[in-house]
Amino acid sequence: MGLLSNKFKPNFLGLLKFLNSLNFFIVFFSLINLSVCIYEDQIGKFDWRQSYVGRIKFSEFDTVSTAKKIIVATEENVLAALNLKTGQVVWRHVLESASTGNIQLLHVSKRVVTVTGANPYLVRGWDPATGVLIWEWSLTLQNDDHADFSEWWVQEYNVLVHMLPIYGSHIEVTMYNLVTGHNRGATSKLPAVWTNDGCILTAPYYTCIGKELIHSLDVTSNAIQLISKPLSLYVPNAGDVTLRPLDGNSISPGFIINDKKIVIIKNNDLKLLETALGDQSASASIIDSSSGPILVQSWSDELKGFFLTAHSLTSGQEVREIQYSDKDLHIPEPEISAAVCSSARENICRFFVTGADDAAHLLQQGGRVLWTREEALANVVAVEFVDLPVSDLDAAIESEFDQKEAAKMYSSIWAAFSRRLHTQLQQLQALLQSLQGERTAGNDPEPLVRDYFNLHKIIVLVTDVGKIFGMDNLSGELLWRRYEPQLDADGALIFTRRSARHPPHDAYITIVGKHEETGNGLIINLNPIRGVSVGDSRLHLDAPLLQVAMLPRADADKLHALLLLDSHRDVLVLPLSAAPLVQDMYMYVAEKETAKVQGYSLRYDGVRVVAQQTWSLSLGGGGGGGGGGGGGGVRVVRAVTAGAVGAAAGSVLADRSVLYKYLNPNLVLFLAEGPDPVHKDVVVAWVVDGVSGGVVAAQTTRRARLAPAAPALLAGHAAAYVYYSDKHRRHEIATMELYEGKERWLPAGAAFSSLTCERAPSVQRQAYILPAAPLAATFTVTERSLADIHVLLALSSGAVVEIPWAAVSARRSVIADDEGLPPYLPELPLPHDAVLSYNRSLQRPRALHAAPAGLESTSLVLLTGLDLFYTRVAPSKTFDLLKDDFDYNLISIVLVALVVATYSTKYFASRKMLRVAWK
Amino acid sequence: MIGALIIILTLGLFGTTQCVNNPVEEEVGNGRYVIEGRVYPPDDQNLHSWQVDTRIHVNGGEYIGFIREDSTFVIHNVPTGSYVVEVINPDYMYEPVRVEINSKGKYRARKLNYIQTSQVIQVQYPLRMKVLTKFRYFQVREQWRLTDFMFNPMVIMMVLPLLLIMVLPKMMNDPETKEDLKQISNLAKMSDMPEMSEMFTSLFSGGSSAKAASASAKAKQVKKKQ
Repeated sequence: MGLLSNKFKPNFLGLLKFLNSLNFFIVFFSLINLSVCIYEDQIGKFDWRQSYVGRIKFSEFDTVSTAKKIIVATEENVLAALNLKTGQVVWRHVLESASTGNIQLLHVSKRVVTVTGANPYLVRGWDPATGVLIWEWSLTLQNDDHADFSEWWVQEYNVLVHMLPIYGSHIEVTMYNLVTGHNRGATSKLPAVWTNDGCILTAPYYTCIGKELIHSLDVTSNAIQLISKPLSLYVPNAGDVTLRPLDGNSISPGFIINDKKIVIIKNNDLKLLETALGDQSASASIIDSSSGPILVQSWSDELKGFFLTAHSLTSGQEVREIQYSDKDLHIPEPEISAAVCSSARENICRFFVTGADDAAHLLQQGGRVLWTREEALANVVAVEFVDLPVSDLDAAIESEFDQKEAAKMYSSIWAAFSRRLHTQLQQLQALLQSLQGERTAGNDPEPLVRDYFNLHKIIVLVTDVGKIFGMDNLSGELLWRRYEPQLDADGALIFTRRSARHPPHDAYITIVGKHEETGNGLIINLNPIRGVSVGDSRLHLDAPLLQVAMLPRADADKLHALLLLDSHRDVLVLPLSAAPLVQDMYMYVAEKETAKVQGYSLRYDGVRVVAQQTWSLSLGGGGGGGGGGGGGGVRVVRAVTAGAVGAAAGSVLADRSVLYKYLNPNLVLFLAEGPDPVHKDVVVAWVVDGVSGGVVAAQTTRRARLAPAAPALLAGHAAAYVYYSDKHRRHEIATMELYEGKERWLPAGAAFSSLTCERAPSVQRQAYILPAAPLAATFTVTERSLADIHVLLALSSGAVVEIPWAAVSARRSVIADDEGLPPYLPELPLPHDAVLSYNRSLQRPRALHAAPAGLESTSLVLLTGLDLFYTRVAPSKTFDLLKDDFDYNLISIVLVALVVATYSTKYFASRKMLRVAWK
Repeated sequence: MIGALIIILTLGLFGTTQCVNNPVEEEVGNGRYVIEGRVYPPDDQNLHSWQVDTRIHVNGGEYIGFIREDSTFVIHNVPTGSYVVEVINPDYMYEPVRVEINSKGKYRARKLNYIQTSQVIQVQYPLRMKVLTKFRYFQVREQWRLTDFMFNPMVIMMVLPLLLIMVLPKMMNDPETKEDLKQISNLAKMSDMPEMSEMFTSLFSGGSSAKAASASAKAKQVKKKQ
């Protein structure tokens, strides 16, 4: 008997445990099922996607297929077809972002031909109508040293020509069958001692400037005919002569000398055109038209706007019907990327023009811009969500509650009463107007004012090329755009220094970047609502910047000051008058390559603000103990600051006790990567207190690597980062949670201070396997951080996945001892219905941005990359909002029916009572 | 043509082939390999341009392959190593495969297992990628169905007492049903509950004739009563 009970007991306990865990599973999966996904009829209701291709590198009109298109190849390694009427993407192929995807050649005839890569090259043929790959072959050059100087073009009868100049010696020319890659007659070496690095190719002629002579050679002809002419024929004083080829698939080979004269090569002779270049920066091309070949040029002048000129090549006369200039059209440094004139009708020409701001315009002759694509948006660097101002009416109502103003103006009750009546009259008028407006269907666009839930915002986007956009977040429409050619936007930051909440003052944002030429700080102040500059619009500093911070306290104008720390460790306060407000400010500066972090304390000493170094930390050598060479090769990949702290102070455990969170708003998460003698590569994550410099938590992962933009997240007490495990060849997400313990360190409501807190929090850690490759991540952000936190991951497959924090929580353990948290499982499932972007593949995602809406439940999300994708998520479901499919009709019908039923039964009941009384 | 120097040279022909495009030779030459396979299109799709929407990602986009018209794909210039080959289609899910190319140029394709990384379940090479499932991105909107409504416990809880309260008294009032009810109750009394004493007497009396007689007498009694 005893034996049996012994055997039975553990089984029974096991069963209980199993049931217990099952319970958690049920709870967990019910939570999951409740979560994120949308209904099919909600497609496009809260989200939008914009597809971009990047700055145009090559383009050609596809005149062969029935649907007219432009085939483009871009700097972003994208091959795409754009609809000629609308400019929308018909098909698009995104190649590798590394050099293996570089597009070297685009040729459009019956097939679209591309040469991509950098030794080895890939030659591909595509169907222009559908974009389907037809053929593909690989080509490896044995001479790898000079491969970068390779030139490619396609000749008639399906011949691909490859030319490799070896300067000062010879030119190697090889011809291939375009479709099969068969080598036709191998390589020919043409002796050419006159070549140098200033040479240009205008297929099939290779042209160089020699001493006093200009050489040009048709490298494909069987008989080598070198054309040499004295330079003095073309330029009066032969000093420094530069050449540049004609743009836009010119029909006859030609080049521009010294940005002045145009020379074309015809019948093995150089011919100087009578028409000179209209402007130094003009882009010129020769196109075919019904009246013979014409030379078109386009340039832009800051005052006079855009110019397009056309001259007949044969007669040199102006072609009036194509000529065009527009004062209001500003295309910086326009380049004719492709041009075509229809041969059927009288000179209907179309020009595909790319500007220095990456925008691509399709112009029709007569100056009509058919469409414009803002390709700068394929390279967004910084994003900021900006609140819209309240409407005038709301502002008037709110000013009533403004203490100061109220005290000033409404000293008597009567004044206040009349004002209240006045505002309510205004509201009534507005209501009547809106009712009328519905009937007349307002013609003027709605003014940009804040909506009731503050879901309508403006997204300010700073792009790599220096173009700044203001975008309506609900429609994705561009509201304003500015091009700042001086701005080097790499690592640019946007600060909302004054929101639109302070009615007499406008909203105010500042973009901090680098100057294009000097590398010093450049500051641009804007009104984000209208896109106009405010204050000193552009400020060029005289030193490179190390760190920027915004003062939490606003000055009298409700403007938050900026603190700029430059490379001389000097602090600049913008505006200067706010310097006395600097109090308890701390900054850190992390050097990427040496992995050294320094902390500064900023103080106002009565005259100016000074920065004093308070701590320093070596993220590389920290583990080894000794400073010296231990940290060699370690570099910081990411640094993330915690920012606002969530409101829930603890999480409730299964035994009804509370585990208090360590909520330190000063935390910084550093991800460092470095070589290791034993484990190849090591990834170290440091959670550092940015004020005191104390290391709060650290974690090392051996044999792991970080992607250049490894996703790293930090919010409140939770941290997460993604690394690639070399050992297991998979992506993993590591999470950390910091807890104070079961007792509070500080009384409830007390402010946290890094300097007085001596205790170290307990750290819980966990790691999960990701069955995908995440490229970007963010936490959802809500107004008061009361709603759950979800992790959003943008995957390389083009999906954005929403994962509840509970699923990656560091508190998940193998033995399930906590409600709401499932037991630990190594692999993190990415369910289909958690994909926010559903079947809209988002190519090459780069960063995810989240911003709070006015509703606590809702977080606004923008994904940047080659595509822009915007949506909104509700991590804890929309508890404060009616469902969008709420049936107002049904509820009103039910209500009316109930009222009718009540009154009718009352009537019938009284009649019955009367009848009974009569009996 | 003034001052133009035209140098005519004979074309130099060099026999060195610069390009090798045959994959077999390529392996020997540069240690660059190709991954090839075929993607089977989803069944129920209008098959005109699924090749454009489908891409092959190797190691999450390190190498990208495109599908040709005949639904085959080749990824060129891959060095030796271990690669995860995924077929990416916005609507259909394909199972990823791990392809390993060793330094001798031998290929091995196996099922991708992120948890037990050393487990080998070989699959065919050249790869054959088949649709696993269709992605279910959307929640199915609940439709109003009568049966759902009827079998809702709340509705049943409401309707049954209503029936009891409203319908039963009505039925009681009706004279015909009253009769019927009586009959039913009488019948029930007769058939189900024969009198105990009779049962015992008949059991102990033993005589079959007596039993029959008594039974007939009983029947007569009942008839008289009626």
